Amino acid sequence: MRQLFSLIFLSLLSLSVSSVHPSSSSSDYHEQLVLRPLPLSALLASFNFRSNTTFSEFEARNFRLFPRSLAQILQHAGTRELHLRFSLGRWDAESWGARPWDGAREGGTGVELWAWLEADTDEEADHKWLILTNALSGLFCASLNFIDATRTTRPVMSFQPEGDHPNSTVTNMHLLYGVLPHEVVCTENLTPFLKLLPCKGKAGIATLLDGHKLFDASWQSMAIDIRPICPSGGECVLQIEQTIDMVLDIERSKRPRDNPIPRPPPGHELPCDTSKPYHSHDTCFPADYKANQDWSLSQVFGKTIKGTCPLMDPTNPPVCLQIPDSRTVYISDGVVEKKNPDRNSRCFDIPPTADFEMVVTPPSDDDAAQTSPGAVGVLQPETPLLYAERSFTGHGQERGGVQTILRNPSPDREVEFVYMETLPWFMRIYLHTMEARIAGHNAAHNASLIQQVSYRPALDRARGTQLEVRMRVPAASTVFLTYDFEKSILRYTEYPPDANRGFDVAAAVITILNSNADKDAAGGRSAVYTLRTTSLLCSLPTPDFSMPYNVIIFTSTAIALAFGGMFNIIVRRFVAADEGPEVGLGALTGRLKGRLNGLLERLRRRTGNK
Amino acid sequence: MPTPNVAGFSTLRARAYLFRLPLFTRAVLAAIGLFWILGVQVWWDVRAWGALVPDKLGFATLYRLNTFPFIHLNVFHALMNALALTPLLERFESEYGTLTSLALFFGPLTTLPAFMYVAVEKWILRADTAVMGASMWVFVLLGMEAIRTYKANPYLVVGTHHIPTWTTPIALLLCVAALVPSSSFLGHLAGLLVGYICGLGYLKFLAPPERVLRWVEGKLNLLGRLPHYVSVDQKTYGRFGVLPSSGSPPPTSVALPLYPYPVPEHQAQPSRESFCEEHLGTAAGQDAKITSALQLRRDPRILKLPPYLSLLFVVVGAVWLFLLPLDQYSRRTYISENALLPGQVHTYFGGSDQNVFRAYKHEVNALAGKSNVEINNSLEPIVKGLGLKTARQNFTYHAAGRTYAGENLYAILQAPRGDATEAIVLVAAWENVKHELNRNGIPLALTLARYFKRWSLWSKDIILLLTPDSIAGPQAWVDAYHDAHDPSRVASLPLKSGLLQGAIAIDYAQEGRFESLHIVYDGVNGQLPNLDLINSVVSIARGQMGIDVALQEMWRHSDDYKDRLRTMLRGMLKQGLGLASGPHSSFIPYHVDAVTLRPFGEGWQDEMALGRVVEGSFRSLNNLLEHLHQSFFFYLLMHRERFVSIGTYLPSAMLVAANFTIMAIALWVKSGHSEGGGQATADSKTVTPANHAAERDLSLPLGVVTLCQVLSVIPLYLFNHVPESALTPLFITFALLNTLLPPVLSHLLATKTTFTLAQYDLVQCFSLLLLGMFLSSLATLNFSLALIIGLLAAPLSFVRPFSPSPTSGLKRIACAVLLNAVSPTAVLLAGALYWRLDVRSVLRDAAVAWHVTGTYSPVVVWCVWWPAWLAGQLIVLARPAPASASARRSNGAWAGDDGKVKGE
Repeated sequence: MRQLFSLIFLSLLSLSVSSVHPSSSSSDYHEQLVLRPLPLSALLASFNFRSNTTFSEFEARNFRLFPRSLAQILQHAGTRELHLRFSLGRWDAESWGARPWDGAREGGTGVELWAWLEADTDEEADHKWLILTNALSGLFCASLNFIDATRTTRPVMSFQPEGDHPNSTVTNMHLLYGVLPHEVVCTENLTPFLKLLPCKGKAGIATLLDGHKLFDASWQSMAIDIRPICPSGGECVLQIEQTIDMVLDIERSKRPRDNPIPRPPPGHELPCDTSKPYHSHDTCFPADYKANQDWSLSQVFGKTIKGTCPLMDPTNPPVCLQIPDSRTVYISDGVVEKKNPDRNSRCFDIPPTADFEMVVTPPSDDDAAQTSPGAVGVLQPETPLLYAERSFTGHGQERGGVQTILRNPSPDREVEFVYMETLPWFMRIYLHTMEARIAGHNAAHNASLIQQVSYRPALDRARGTQLEVRMRVPAASTVFLTYDFEKSILRYTEYPPDANRGFDVAAAVITILNSNADKDAAGGRSAVYTLRTTSLLCSLPTPDFSMPYNVIIFTSTAIALAFGGMFNIIVRRFVAADEGPEVGLGALTGRLKGRLNGLLERLRRRTGNK
Repeated sequence: MPTPNVAGFSTLRARAYLFRLPLFTRAVLAAIGLFWILGVQVWWDVRAWGALVPDKLGFATLYRLNTFPFIHLNVFHALMNALALTPLLERFESEYGTLTSLALFFGPLTTLPAFMYVAVEKWILRADTAVMGASMWVFVLLGMEAIRTYKANPYLVVGTHHIPTWTTPIALLLCVAALVPSSSFLGHLAGLLVGYICGLGYLKFLAPPERVLRWVEGKLNLLGRLPHYVSVDQKTYGRFGVLPSSGSPPPTSVALPLYPYPVPEHQAQPSRESFCEEHLGTAAGQDAKITSALQLRRDPRILKLPPYLSLLFVVVGAVWLFLLPLDQYSRRTYISENALLPGQVHTYFGGSDQNVFRAYKHEVNALAGKSNVEINNSLEPIVKGLGLKTARQNFTYHAAGRTYAGENLYAILQAPRGDATEAIVLVAAWENVKHELNRNGIPLALTLARYFKRWSLWSKDIILLLTPDSIAGPQAWVDAYHDAHDPSRVASLPLKSGLLQGAIAIDYAQEGRFESLHIVYDGVNGQLPNLDLINSVVSIARGQMGIDVALQEMWRHSDDYKDRLRTMLRGMLKQGLGLASGPHSSFIPYHVDAVTLRPFGEGWQDEMALGRVVEGSFRSLNNLLEHLHQSFFFYLLMHRERFVSIGTYLPSAMLVAANFTIMAIALWVKSGHSEGGGQATADSKTVTPANHAAERDLSLPLGVVTLCQVLSVIPLYLFNHVPESALTPLFITFALLNTLLPPVLSHLLATKTTFTLAQYDLVQCFSLLLLGMFLSSLATLNFSLALIIGLLAAPLSFVRPFSPSPTSGLKRIACAVLLNAVSPTAVLLAGALYWRLDVRSVLRDAAVAWHVTGTYSPVVVWCVWWPAWLAGQLIVLARPAPASASARRSNGAWAGDDGKVKGE
C-alpha cells in the first residue's frame, strides 16, 4: 500500500516538475549539431544525441527517454556497456585533419560491435553475446547475427570501459568484440537508429537526417554508446549517446535532387583562372577551389531544421558552426547567434517552433589571399597524432603480406599505441615475419619499436586470429609494420556467391595511449585518440565454379534422359493391378460403400429374423 | 547367334571385318571421306553445293537428293555417321547384293525420305533448314532392321511391360534429337518412316527384278571383275549363313593378308567365323592375340611409321592454323560477365569539359621537351588542385648499356563513398612506344580525372598514372604496387589503394580529330587481358559511340578470310615475341586486365569522343562486383568480333610439339635395336625381327646434349649484358661462330671418340625429347611462341646421319646449309630484313624487355631452340664410326634417303 502511495506521489511529483521545466528531470536529453567546413569543399556535420536514465528507474523498467526496445535487450543479455558502430567510406586525414571526437565515435567500414557482458564463465558470456548480437540484428536490420565464433575476439589491450563500473562487477565483466567488414550500411539501418530518439526525427536537428544525404556522404559513421555514469555524490545513471558524423561534399550535396547528374556546366559558368595567357571563351583553366565556399543548410541537407525537440535541454544551443568569425552567416528570424570567445565558432539558439535556415556566404578576397587554395575561409584542420595506412603486399594466390605505414607527424612527441588486427581464419599469419622498421634507419633503431604482443592464433573454421601489438613511433618518423600470411584453400561450399570478389578483412584498430598518465593498476591506460585503417580485400584461390556446374548439368541431362526412365522401370517392383491395396478417393468410397452395404445387410438380416 | 561383346574384341577380327566390307559399303564410306576432304578447302563450298536445302530444290538441283547423304558438317559428324552406317549397310548389302543396294540407295531409299522431308519442311513448317549427312540412311536401315526384329521377336519384356521392339529406333531418334546439337529431327523421322514402310514390304515393287540383275551381272562378269562384289545369288543365303559354308567359297579376289597366323577367310560369313572361334576354345584365341600383338610390334611397317606420323602431325598442325579463320572454327565474341553492362549508361563527358581540355593541352604543350622532373613539378599542382592525392616514384633500369630512369607521377581519386579495397587505373604515358609525345592523351586523362571527381557513383578508387615512357614507367609502378620490385632500382610507392581491377591506357599522340580506335591488348610474354574487357570497349566504341575499332594494326578489315588470317597471324607474332606493346602490357602479368586505346586515321571524332569511350569503359569496370573471371584469357582475335578459344587452337601447337616426342621415342626404340646384326629373311611372307635388343651407351650422348644446353647460357648472357654499341659486332661474330661450331664439334666427335650411329640416334633422341617437352608445356603458357619455335625447329625431327656413300659428303654439306637457314641467328636476320628493322635495335629491344619487363622469349630461343638446333646440326654432319658391318645395313631400315625395307 505504501509502495503504491509512494509511486503515485512520485509520479505526481515528476509530472509537476516536468510541467514546470521539462529538462530538469533526472533523465535529461541533449542534442547538438556541430557543422564544420573542411578544406576541399567538404563539410563535417556531427549530430549528437544524449539521454540518461537512473539505474533505479532502469531496473524498474520505467523507461522514459531511454529507448525501451534497446533497454530490454540490454537487460536480457546482461550488458554493462555497449558500443555499436555503422560506418561507410573513409576519413581523409591528409586533408581533413584529426577525426571528430578524437576517433572515439567511429568504427571501421561495415558494422562493429563491442560490449562488456556480465557473466561468470566464458561460456555464459558467449551465450549472452549470441543473444545480444541476434537481438541487435533484428533491431537494427543489420546482419549482426553473422558475428559468430569465427568473428568474435576478446581484445586485451585495445579497449577499456568508458563508464564507471563498481569494483564488484568489474571482475566478471567480459569484453567481446565482433566486426562485419562486408556489411553495407544503408538506410534500413538509419530508420531504427532514428526511432531510438525521443523526437524520432520529427523535430529538432534530427529532421535533417535523411537517408539520401547521409548515405551520399563521403564518410559517415553512426554510433551508439551505452555506459553507466556515476557522478560524484549523485545516483548512477545509464547514459545512451547516439552520434552521427558525416562529411558531405558540398558540391555534390548542392546538386538538386531531381537532377543529380554532374553534367558539365555551361562554359560561361565555369570558374576560370583568368590569369592564364591562353584564357579565352573556349579555353579555361579551372579554378575549382574558388567554388562551393557558399552554402546553406537547405542546399546541403535538402531541408531546414523544423524547430527544436521539446524534450531537449534548452541551455545547450542545438546548432553550432565552426567557422572563422570573419565569415558572414545569414540566419532565420528569431534565431540568436552567439559567437564564442575563441573567434572560430558560433552557436545558434533556435526558438522551439521556428524553422532554422542558415546561409554561409563565400569568403572575402582578403581571406583567399591569406590561406592556401582549397582551404579558403575554413579553419585550419588539426593535425592528427598519427597517420596510418594499411595495404597488401605481394601477389598471387598462395601467400601475401600486410604492410601498415604509421607516420607520426609530431616533431617532438613520441606516440605509443596498441595496434589491433582481427583476421579471418583463412589468412594464416606467420607471426615470426612480423617486424617493425623505421623508414631510412638501420636495424638497431627498430628493436624497441614493438613493446608487447598479444596473439591468439586462429583455429580453422572455429575462430579468427587476434593480434594486438603495443608499439611506439618516434617523433617525426615513419614506421613500417609488416607481416606475411598464407592463404588457405577453402572448401567448395565455403565460398560465397561472389567468390571472385575476394574476402573482406576488417580494419585495424589503432588506439593511441595517453603518454602522460602512469599505468593503472589494471594495466590499462586511457585512450587519447583512436583511428582505424581501411579494410582490405583478400583474394583467395578460387576454383572455376562453372566447370563443375557444366559437368553436372551435362551428365544430369544425359542420365535423366537416357538412363533415368530405364532405371525406374528396372528398379520398381511391379504388381498386378488387383493384387495391391487400392488407394485414393476411389478406394475410400469403395470402403465406405462396403461398410454401408454390410450395415444394410445386417439390418436386413435383423429385420428378416424378426 | 553369338553376340559380340567387348571382351571378345580382337584387333584381328576388326581388321578382318574391315577387309571384308562389301563393295557398295566401301564405296559409300569412300565417298563420305572424299566429300569431307573436299569440304576442307575454302574456295568451293561443298556443303552449300550438295546439302538438301528445301528452297533450293528445283529441277536442275535434283542432284541434291542424292548427294546430301555424302556431305557432312564436320569431321565428327562424318565419323559418327560412318561408324553408325557401316555395320547396317554391310548387313543390307551382304543380304541383298551390291547391285540391289546400289539401285535402292541411289533411288527410293534416298529420294523418298528426302522428298518427305522437303515436303514437310517447305509446305507444312514453312522453314528452310538445310540437311546433310548419312544419318537419314542410318535411320532407314534401323527402321528396316527394327521391323525384322519385330517379326522374329515382337516384345521386349521389362517387368510386366511389353515394349514392342519396333519402337527402339524411336527411342534412339529422341535421344539423338535431345543430345546431339543441330541434328535434324524431321530428317531422321522421315528416314525412319521410310525404313518402316520398306521393312513392312510395301516397297518391294521398287527393287529391280532379279532377272535383270542377274543378266547384268552375267553380261558384265561383275563377279569376276569387281573385288568384294556381292552377287545377286549370294543374297539367297544371306548373312545368316543358312547354307553350309563349303557350298561355295566366295569368288572374291582379295589379296591374302601377310599374316603368319591363318585368318579365316570366309568372307561372306562373319557369323560363322566368330562362331567357330568362340567354340574352338579360348586358349587358342588367347594365343592368337598375343602372337598377333608381338607380330604387330615387329612388323617393319610399325618401325617405318614414326617419321611419316611425325610429318603428318606437323602438316596437320600447320594446316589447322589456317582453318581457324573459317566461320566453322571461330566464334563471335560475346560479353560473358553480365555485370559489365557495356554501353548501357549515358555518357556526359563533353560540353565545357572541352574548354578545360584545351587549357590543359596548352599546359602540356608548354612542357614539351622539358625534363621528366620539371614536367612532374608542373603537372602535380594541377592534379592536386583537382582534389586528388598525388605521389611520385623514381625508377632506374639498366639494359643494353643504357639507363632507363624516370619518375612516375600518380594520383588517387578516392571513391567518394568507398573503401580503399578496389581500384581502376587510367594510364597516360608522356611518350608512347614510338616515342611520340602523348599530346592529347595527357590532357585528356587530366580532364577525365577532373570529370570523374564530380561523380559520386564510383565504387572503386580511380588511379591516374602519368609515366614518362610507355614500358619502363608502368612496369616500375605495377611492380612496386604489388611489392614485387627490386628496391635498389625501383622506389616503393608511398601511396596505395586496393586491388587493381582493370586499367585503360590512353595513347593519343596524333594531332587533330581521329576516325577509328585501335585497341592494343598484347601483354608481356603473350599474356592477354580478359576478353570481356576488349569486348566491352568494342561494344561501347562501336555500339554506343559509333567509332570503328581496329586490332593489330589492321587499319582496314573486310572480315574476309584473308584479313582474318592476317590479323590472327599478326597477333600471334606479337604474342610470340612477348614484348610489351604499350603501357597496359605490364599490368597483365599481375592479373590486372588492361588495354591501350590509340586513335588513328583522319575523321570527325574529337578528343571528347575518346573521353566518352573511356568514361563508358570505366563505368562498366565500376559495375564489376567480382574480378573479371568469366570470359577467356586464352584466345586469338581475328576480327573485333570474332575469336578462337584455346580449345580450338591449342591442338595445333600441341601436334607440332608432339612430333618431336614421337621421333624421340622412335629413336630410342631404334637405338636399342640397331646393334647386333639382324637377319633379314626376305624369302617368306613373315618377317623375322631384324634386330635384337642391344645395350644403349647413354653417357656420351647425354654428355653431348648437356654440353649443348650448357653452351646455350653463353648467348643468353651475352646478348642481354652487352652494351648497345657492341650488339651488332657481337651478333655477326656469333652468327659466324654458330656456323663454324657444328663442323668443329662434329670433327672432334668423329676423331676423338668412336661415336656410333646408335649414339647419334640417342643424341637426337634426347635433344628432341627435351624440345618436345619444353614446347608442349610452353604451348599452354604462350601458344604462339611454342608454335613458331615448333615450326621452325620441325626440320630437326627429320634429319638423319648420312650413310657413307660417294655422294654423302655433298649431301651432308647441302643439308647442313639448309639447316643453317633455319638457325636462330638466320631467322633473326631474316626477320629483321623482312620488317626492315635494324638488327641492333631488335637485339636492344630484346635486352630491354629482358631486363625491364621480364620477357622470357630470349630464354626459349637460346636455351630451348638453339641447343636443339645445334644437336640437329651435329646429326647432319655426323660421321658415325662403324660399329659393325651389319649395323650400317640395318640403319637403312628407315633412313630418309634410301627407304629400302627389308622383308618386302
